[in-house]
Amino acid sequence: MTAQIELIDIDKHYGNFHALKNVSLTIDKGSFVALVGPSGCGKSTLLRSIAGLETITSGRMTIAGKEMTGVPPRHRDIAMVFQSYALYPHMTVEENLTYSLRLHGVSKADARKKAAEVAATTGLSELLSRYPRQLSGGQRQRVAMGRAIIRNPKAFLFDEPLSNLDAALRVQMRKEIRALHDRLGATSVYVTHDQIEAMTMADWVVVMRAGIIEQQGRPLDLYDKPVNRFVAGFIGSPAMNFLPGRIADSGNSVVLDGGGSLPLARNVEPGRTVIAGVRPEHLQVRGDDANFHLEVGVVESTGSATYLTSRDGNFQLVQSERTQLASGDRVGLGIDPTRVHLFDPETGIAL
Amino acid sequence: MTRTYTPWFLLVVALALAAVYLFPLYWMYVTSLKTGSEIFANPPTFWPREPNPDIYPETWARRTMPVFLLNSVIIAGGITAITVILGTGCAYVLARYRNVWIDIGLFCVLMLQVLPASVMVTPLFVGFNQIGLLNYPRTAVVLAAAAKAMPFFVVLVRATFMSVPRELEEAALVDGNSRVGAFFSIVLPLARNGILVCAILTFMSAFGEYIYSKSIIQSPSLQPASVGLSGFLGPNSTDWSSIMAYSAIYVTPILLVFVILQRRIVSGLTSGALK
Amino acid sequence: MTRFLNALRDGVGFDILLVGAALLFLLALAGAPLVYNVLMSFQQVDMFTLGVLFRPFVGFDNYVAVVQQPEFWMVTRNTLVFVFGSMTGQFVLGFALALFFAQDFPGASTIRGLFLVSWVMPGLVVGAIWSWILAGDFGVLNVILKSLGIIQNNVFWKSDPNFSIWAVIIANIWLGLAFNMLLLSVGLAAIPRDLYEAAELDGANAFQRFWTITLPMMRSTIGAVLSLGLIGTLQQFDLFPALTEGGPANTSNVAGFWSWQLSFQLYDFAKGATVSVMMFLLVLFASVIYVRSTRHEVRG
Ligand SMILES: Nc1ncnc2c1ncn2[C@@H]1O[C@H](COP(=O)(O)OP(=O)(O)OP(=O)(O)O)[C@@H](O)[C@H]1O
Ligand SMILES: [Mg+2]
Repeated sequence: MTAQIELIDIDKHYGNFHALKNVSLTIDKGSFVALVGPSGCGKSTLLRSIAGLETITSGRMTIAGKEMTGVPPRHRDIAMVFQSYALYPHMTVEENLTYSLRLHGVSKADARKKAAEVAATTGLSELLSRYPRQLSGGQRQRVAMGRAIIRNPKAFLFDEPLSNLDAALRVQMRKEIRALHDRLGATSVYVTHDQIEAMTMADWVVVMRAGIIEQQGRPLDLYDKPVNRFVAGFIGSPAMNFLPGRIADSGNSVVLDGGGSLPLARNVEPGRTVIAGVRPEHLQVRGDDANFHLEVGVVESTGSATYLTSRDGNFQLVQSERTQLASGDRVGLGIDPTRVHLFDPETGIAL
Repeated sequence: MTRTYTPWFLLVVALALAAVYLFPLYWMYVTSLKTGSEIFANPPTFWPREPNPDIYPETWARRTMPVFLLNSVIIAGGITAITVILGTGCAYVLARYRNVWIDIGLFCVLMLQVLPASVMVTPLFVGFNQIGLLNYPRTAVVLAAAAKAMPFFVVLVRATFMSVPRELEEAALVDGNSRVGAFFSIVLPLARNGILVCAILTFMSAFGEYIYSKSIIQSPSLQPASVGLSGFLGPNSTDWSSIMAYSAIYVTPILLVFVILQRRIVSGLTSGALK
Repeated sequence: MTRFLNALRDGVGFDILLVGAALLFLLALAGAPLVYNVLMSFQQVDMFTLGVLFRPFVGFDNYVAVVQQPEFWMVTRNTLVFVFGSMTGQFVLGFALALFFAQDFPGASTIRGLFLVSWVMPGLVVGAIWSWILAGDFGVLNVILKSLGIIQNNVFWKSDPNFSIWAVIIANIWLGLAFNMLLLSVGLAAIPRDLYEAAELDGANAFQRFWTITLPMMRSTIGAVLSLGLIGTLQQFDLFPALTEGGPANTSNVAGFWSWQLSFQLYDFAKGATVSVMMFLLVLFASVIYVRSTRHEVRG
């Protein structure tokens, strides 16, 4: 696979504020990359730097092998879908779709033909002569998509394109965007703060925090092997539980500060203090052979799953079966040793 | 009085207030239509007994109003053109960025908005005299008054540009347009109405410009209508019917434009002047 | 060269061009004259030196001369009376009208908008109309006041030294009232309705609601309106030549008009410049207040 977008040591300052710190990232041709992270971590800044809407302070960037420093957005041949859709309010859907073609000197007839094709794939055929204000939220979203795909650009950039839609539509558009990406053989960079969106849509997920890339990799790799406590807590829902403890003398279990112990599938330096991480969905309710005990606080059931929260509020678990447990019960929990993560208490780095 | 009548009662009060407030305008029209003796009748008549519209063509001709009004249009047009061309771009940049330099620029503009024309007229006159601009008095007035009008225009139009989402322009850039192209094909069309309203406001106030014209333009054939009016207006004037006729001819076009565009002007003003 | 053109098309060059052109223009026609004004106020300017830049310096002589003019204190007093009289009238009446038009009734905003015609009218025409209304012998205001029993004898608004400044103030209040009202209306409209409902539930009467909710919520608006009113009043010029020409005997003269008279009727440009520098200092003070009250606007 060849790199379509390559970022090398990108830095971005806003005045004194360091928004991107030494970011390096390679995006392969044809891949779907998601950028995730908490609000304000610099996802949009990174995306807009790729588009050329922000000038980077230092570092290098290539798109399709071409150096991009100092190249204005219009010469980068990328398409972008904005969170607000940014449809031109004074143009009809058709004019919105063909705007970029007209700028690139495509003839009127060709542009119309192309617009009709794109409208057919995005389900906009009936709406071509409407103005954006006459469309529903979902339809606007489609126009924004159509405006991007009509050009066959080197890459698609999405900045939280689904966050203004309701939950059901969001799930549907998720699939459509991914299907479109596959059909076009496109390269996409997708910013979202919703890690479910990132996990389900992307081939490659990049987790950012405070301007740095914490970890990047295939979605399930991030889930299975988070490199630090931040990524572990960020990927997965509900979030991973963290329990402080100390490695037992035997080296193959963690003695928890709160009582009980967790088995380990490998040997670790005995006596070391650690933070153990266990995902809520990996815990089983057990009787006698429980690893540790917990007092149940809140029980919430969605029908398909039951969410239990401990009395002190900082521990969660998910059960796929219905349970008889009620608030105040004391419950014994066990876990498969291979599912236990360990982190250094100071640095947060995975052991 | 029951609750359902309250709004109608308020409407009547509002109309009465408006009538009181607009009485001076009414008085202008009524006086202009009165004959010489009726004007000084005691008590005054609130509706002319024998409306005499002949005063209009007479004043029009005797006071050479076509020349004055033409000059007013030329001067106001020039002021508006300079203000719109230079002010629009300035307002756009001041709306688009957020940093110290913009704050400084905006501060300068706000400061200039505050300067009274009576403070500026002396140095402008002496300066224009030195560089020989007084030989082109209407140009001199246009330049001076445009500098006076521009800050207010910039403040109002800046508010219009702020209401155009930044992302639209960015979408145009990504779609392949240059900064210049995006400005003309996306930003300007979307801000067009606001700019138009502000341009009309600028024209209207320039149409009544007095102090610079009075001070700078000596030749009556180049003077605007305001200076023409001041020619027969003073603490001891008596020719009220022709003064009022002159005034009526002068302001009626402005009033018509205002009434037609009232809604837009009001909303344009409120969004810009206070936010 | 192409780099330069590219910066104009795609980079900040475009912004610099746009803002630079306007700022250069303003600098040349507002900034430079302002500096020149100060310069002239320290020079001896007469018919012989009018055309040259380097005139004899006279230090503070012009300032001393201006202060020693017999009318100086009269003009100062008038300026203050004019500013405070106009602002108070515009603000109080404007606020009252704004409160009235904040009621919910059909046509409220349209009728309120009509008030703004005063604002778009040429100042000289407004002056002419009021000059006629305020005329001593046949003016309609005297007739109305007499028929209401408020006055017994005609008031010679424009020629009585006790009233001449008030003649201009009345016209100026009429002129500025609508703009005050409009801005205050915007401020009123921005106060959430439910605040009033909550206060009403808490048992506040209309007067208490005004004091405890309307006024505090309107603080920044009121600040902006007052400072804009101050600025607008200091800028008022056209009414003076139309109504009183500063007379009789300077009883209605204010700094702006006096400065103009000195320059353009007495051709004493040095004194004219000196008075306008003094006035500029007053304006500077007003604009500091204005900028402070609109700082939230600057920051956005
Ligand atoms: N123009 C700017 N000037 C100064 N700081 C900025 C500017 N734009 C963004 N920032 C700062 O840079 C940081 C990153 O912003 P960015 O918009 O990239 O966040 P994000 O990850 O997209 O967050 P969100 O999920 O909320 O959209 C933020 O702390 C923000 O305050
Ligand atoms: Mg963002």
